[in-house]
Amino acid sequence: MSTVTLTIDGRTVTVPKGTTVYHAARQLGIEIPIFCYHDRMPPLGACRMCFVQVDRMPRLQTACTLEAQEGMVVWTESPEVVEARRAILEFLLINHPLDCPICDKGGECPLQDNTFRYGPGASRFVEPKRHFPKAVRLSPVLTLDRERCILCWRCTRFGEVVAGDHALKGHERGYRTHIDVPPVTQERPSKFIGNTIAICPVGALTSGVYRFRARPWDNQPTAGVCTHCGVGCATWVDTRGGEVVRVRAREKPEVNDIWLCDVGFFGYDYTQHPDRLTTPYMRQGGTLQPASWEEALDVVARALRQASPRVGALGGKRLTVEEAYLLGKLFRFLGSNHVDARADSAFAPPREWAWGAGPFEALDRVGVFVLVGCDLSEDYPVLWLRAKRALDRGAAGLALAPKRLEIAPYLQGAVVHRYGTEADVLYAAARLLAERSGSVPEPLRQVKVQTSCDRAGVSCQAVEDLVRHLARPGPVLFVVGQLSWDGPQPGRTLAALQTLRAVCGGEVWVLRGKGNATGALLAGLAPDALPGLVPPEDPQARARVRAVWGFEPPISPGLAAPAMLEAAAAGRLSVLYVAGADPARDFPDGDLWKRARAKLDLLVVTDLFWTTTVEQADVVLPALSCFERAGTWANLEGRLQRVAASRMGPPGARADGDILQLLSQRLGRPMEYASVDEVWEELRRVAPGMELDRPYSFPRPQPRVEVQLPTPLDGEGLVVVPSAPLFRTGEMASRCRGLPELAGNPTVVLHPEDAVPLGLEDGAEVELQVGDASARARATVDAAVAPGHVLVPVGFSQFPRSRWQRPGLRVRVRALQPAGRESR
Amino acid sequence: MPQPVLLRYVREPDQADIDAYERRGGYAALRRALRELSPEQVTELVDRSQLRGRGGAGFPTGRKWKFVPKDAPVKYLVVNADEGEPGTFKDRTLLEGDPHLLVEGIALAAYANGVRTAYVYLRREFYQAHRRLERAIAQAYQRGYLGQGILGTDFCLDVYVHPGAGAYIAGEETALLESLEGRRAMPRLKPPYFPAVMGLYEKPTVLNNVETLCCVPWIVREGPEWWLHQGPPQLYSVSGHVNAPQVVEAPLGTSARELIERAGGVRGGRQVKAFYPGGTSSRPLPGKYLDVPLRHEELAKLGSMLGSAAVIVMDETTDMVKVIARVCEFYRDESCGKCTPCREGTVWVTQILDRILHGRGRPEDLDLLASLARNMTGTCFCPLGESVPPSLRAGLEDFREEFEAYVRAAREPATMPVRLHLGAPAPGG
Amino acid sequence: MLSERVRQDIEALRARYPVAQSALIPALLRVQEELGWVPPEAMAEVGRLLGLPVEVVAEVASFYTLIFTELPGRHVVQLCTNLSCMLSGAEAVREWVERELGIRAGQTTPDGRVTLLAVECLAACDQAPCMLVDEQRHGPVSPDSAVQLLRELD
Repeated sequence: MSTVTLTIDGRTVTVPKGTTVYHAARQLGIEIPIFCYHDRMPPLGACRMCFVQVDRMPRLQTACTLEAQEGMVVWTESPEVVEARRAILEFLLINHPLDCPICDKGGECPLQDNTFRYGPGASRFVEPKRHFPKAVRLSPVLTLDRERCILCWRCTRFGEVVAGDHALKGHERGYRTHIDVPPVTQERPSKFIGNTIAICPVGALTSGVYRFRARPWDNQPTAGVCTHCGVGCATWVDTRGGEVVRVRAREKPEVNDIWLCDVGFFGYDYTQHPDRLTTPYMRQGGTLQPASWEEALDVVARALRQASPRVGALGGKRLTVEEAYLLGKLFRFLGSNHVDARADSAFAPPREWAWGAGPFEALDRVGVFVLVGCDLSEDYPVLWLRAKRALDRGAAGLALAPKRLEIAPYLQGAVVHRYGTEADVLYAAARLLAERSGSVPEPLRQVKVQTSCDRAGVSCQAVEDLVRHLARPGPVLFVVGQLSWDGPQPGRTLAALQTLRAVCGGEVWVLRGKGNATGALLAGLAPDALPGLVPPEDPQARARVRAVWGFEPPISPGLAAPAMLEAAAAGRLSVLYVAGADPARDFPDGDLWKRARAKLDLLVVTDLFWTTTVEQADVVLPALSCFERAGTWANLEGRLQRVAASRMGPPGARADGDILQLLSQRLGRPMEYASVDEVWEELRRVAPGMELDRPYSFPRPQPRVEVQLPTPLDGEGLVVVPSAPLFRTGEMASRCRGLPELAGNPTVVLHPEDAVPLGLEDGAEVELQVGDASARARATVDAAVAPGHVLVPVGFSQFPRSRWQRPGLRVRVRALQPAGRESR
Repeated sequence: MPQPVLLRYVREPDQADIDAYERRGGYAALRRALRELSPEQVTELVDRSQLRGRGGAGFPTGRKWKFVPKDAPVKYLVVNADEGEPGTFKDRTLLEGDPHLLVEGIALAAYANGVRTAYVYLRREFYQAHRRLERAIAQAYQRGYLGQGILGTDFCLDVYVHPGAGAYIAGEETALLESLEGRRAMPRLKPPYFPAVMGLYEKPTVLNNVETLCCVPWIVREGPEWWLHQGPPQLYSVSGHVNAPQVVEAPLGTSARELIERAGGVRGGRQVKAFYPGGTSSRPLPGKYLDVPLRHEELAKLGSMLGSAAVIVMDETTDMVKVIARVCEFYRDESCGKCTPCREGTVWVTQILDRILHGRGRPEDLDLLASLARNMTGTCFCPLGESVPPSLRAGLEDFREEFEAYVRAAREPATMPVRLHLGAPAPGG
Repeated sequence: MLSERVRQDIEALRARYPVAQSALIPALLRVQEELGWVPPEAMAEVGRLLGLPVEVVAEVASFYTLIFTELPGRHVVQLCTNLSCMLSGAEAVREWVERELGIRAGQTTPDGRVTLLAVECLAACDQAPCMLVDEQRHGPVSPDSAVQLLRELD
């Protein structure tokens, strides 16, 4: 790479060609004040704060836009520069209210700081200031004070450049310019608005949740990791007086860069919600009664000992890696391999298909990525920001999904296929590619492109486009998501993907699992793997485990979540220990759960809130939230991030790790550790290769050609496409200020071809009937799904996964009330 | 007085019609170019004519065309017909009076630059010009001067009229391109967005003003030597306190005195107190400069500029404080709001001037205004904000006593200037 | 809410440009020809036709003074008040026109007949003071003739 050498304030610096003077100066430790410039977005040159003087250039130059040239001589503190900065600050301040004492930004405000360092001492402004309505609530989580706004355009450009959601815009012009949202109702709220608050250089954009809760210097920041979705964004958790008052992004280029989604930003209030469980409960005479920890733990330990090895453990996404490890270890001690972190999935493929992704940074190099049933911006929002960056640098993005993705406008191709038929599209693509290469492997010969396309309800052209993009230069990345994994034929989708990979290469990620689900799998909460996702029969691994544990874990694979429930329903499993999971609500087959529950001798649940599963438990143990205990969290990459506790939990609740230690004592196999570190070090001895801050590289499936035939899905009514939006009303989100309002009311989507015969208009109220149950929602009429389908937003209380996620579900839709203006 | 060139036929009532235009020699230049000249030769003719852009910046047109990469597969021609510089009305006069002259100029420029698509960014307020231009374009298509295979050659060109929607800043070339791309008309960063290399849709773009392109057919038809011999012809929009405000065609470098005479002289036979030589973005000059040749070089020496060659004449009765306040208000209202000094400076300056005009001026306001003029100079993103200081400076330097009179009146109301000028009597008066 | 004709015209406008967003301003003006203004629902609909988020449509619409995001009167009168017209008596014209209509510039008569706008240079300084009544230019106007023109409007 070629470089240029220039002189700044008399010092010489060499930088890569294309570097701006601003960055060259930073390299020398010279700070140039900025407002509009933000290094995650291209230079704008609007605020005029970063003036520098350059020899042989006629006027002052903006350092953020000026490319360093060989031999350039730059001055950042010349009298002209000092004067110009003062002038710009004076201009910025004339209409700024200077209400710093009551401004949330006070104390961490670039305008304050720059004024202090570079500004005029006094104002010469004696005219009336510009007035706007104060504290306008732009969204449940965003408040705008236009008087404080200095129109740096960072927030609007964030929406254009980084998020692509265009959430905030400059309206009108000149001195009337103000940030605003359109006069019509936004169909969907931004998922990233918190970032605009973070990058606002003044107190114009403030958090509707954090507003007036603290002064920044009173906050105690703790490095944290967001445990909502599984991307594992690095955070700062700000506490004050033992309360989490704010969550901010912590810079971590390889994961979240400097961004968070709004669930990460605003999803923390639940931890201090009065609904938190603070005492154990035991079922007595049919109802759950408060109990002491002693009693409850005794009952659980006794039941586990008696039922061993007919015991199983479900859950893990809300456990730390260390806790998941202890849970796995305890159940292995009890002679059971029936442990599964994937408590909400009906699909349980073998170990090599564990959820997970290669390092996210692979996206920075891909030539093309293909989202297979992956609603990236809804499921893993911050990962979408990285994918968008890939698109912006010229990579191609494609999607196959049973719905139109919100991000479709940014993709080169977005195929909306019939539910569960993505395999047909993939097989057709594999066949076309194989034909093109001149050799079609034998099994692929049975795939007929036209037939496959017809089955999927897509045009052959769409598949040809897909194939054309797959031939682009650069690595190919397939990203399988929840829409496929939880779909009717996920196994076939994976087989088709493997077949396509055999033809065109490429890596595959499986993006599923929330919180620490991947970490729990890695730590050993998988029925067919020891810690480190190693097969239980692996002799070396067994030797390590034996040496460290002092006992022999069972060798034959245990039952995965669905099989565990089947076993329970058949009376072959007596005790189920559910840690931080809500299978009664989330397991896609609610009937199976019910049958299992009915036959279980003891159901133990640890959780924060009175969940559906808690309601049905025999013993309830109140647990701690992710803010309240130290531990290691793994994201989808298997990247292991250690966090400290940022607040104390409510009295009466205990960490899952502590609960497990207490149980182990009662089970005669005490697991005693003085610290999280001790557990971690033990885990590393069992599963070498685990390093903090590194993705754990676990084995990934190898491509091979395998053609599976489709299972026909017949039936009456519309096919339900269950799809969980980012903003929904889960146990945690519904207890965070702002988030329930962002979720709003659930809306189902019908294709116009189906809406017309039903006499349905856009916005009408409908009833969805399935069997003897029904649910109501507003309907949007839109070709966002294929004809014959209805998109159902699971994760709302009306639409629990236990009922609506069942693959192949069909419903009857009935209009209740036509759309009317008065009802909006 | 030589026969006018650019204005030769604008007052002929039938000139907007293609038959009349052809009868008077129209489209001969295009025929000649397509038959006899290579695109490079057309550019060369324009270059040798020393034609400079007539929109305001005065950049040599031939050089501009040579910046456009020859080998780029897609290029655009964009015509700046967003005439809005106060006091300027020559482009409208051409558009309404001789629209085919522009169409022919467009075709020649497109041919010279290898362009196949041209957009005319036309001010929304030019309703009549819009109708005439659309008709002219339709006629030109019919006669084969536009469209596919023009005049039997393989040269193809489509021309579309793109309406603006009310924004002076869209006259700034990069803001115009933003607007043409369907966005807010806010100027782009240069570099990298020099239109010639990264213009419309980030493709090389030839961007010329209406008058500039109207010169091209004459240059191609009669040759650059002839063109230079004519003066070269320059359109001056003469308005304000003159008896017959009008567009005057005169050789480049004609004095304001002569232009005022050709516009019927100063109204009421009064003396000229001041005049803007190049629209309100230029520094207004006191009457003593009436004999200065209005040419780029001479005006630059006086700290002013030829700009759009709009000569606004103000007689001895004019209240210069009010004039300058009005000019500053204009820039305040038309600022796009992108950069700090323009957005905030224009407001502050007008607030102070308004206060002075309302008898609440303070002695220190004059120094404050001078300081703000300084702070807006060389600091704005684009020329719009930089258009305020020249007027302010002229006011404070050349007409300071008028400002002082207002400030004095703040303490001695009896001395309030009473020369608030009303140009027309009240109804029934 | 847009008529089929307008929708077709917008499609045709779109075809003039390699990038759909270029058709946005012409499309909004087309809507305005039909409805007199661009109501919020029309912004959303134009956005759908051109594949643009309504946020983008709204930010663009709000920038330009001749895209009306509020319903104007049946007639829009644009009175130039810039320098050349001011020097030629535009202030008196404005004063008398405002008095005649009973409104200030920037307002609409209560009966919805006329919206009066004080505008910047209309590039017709040879007809100063100059006034646009809808699409028709008049000038030079005097206070008398301007008031007379307004009285002739339906």
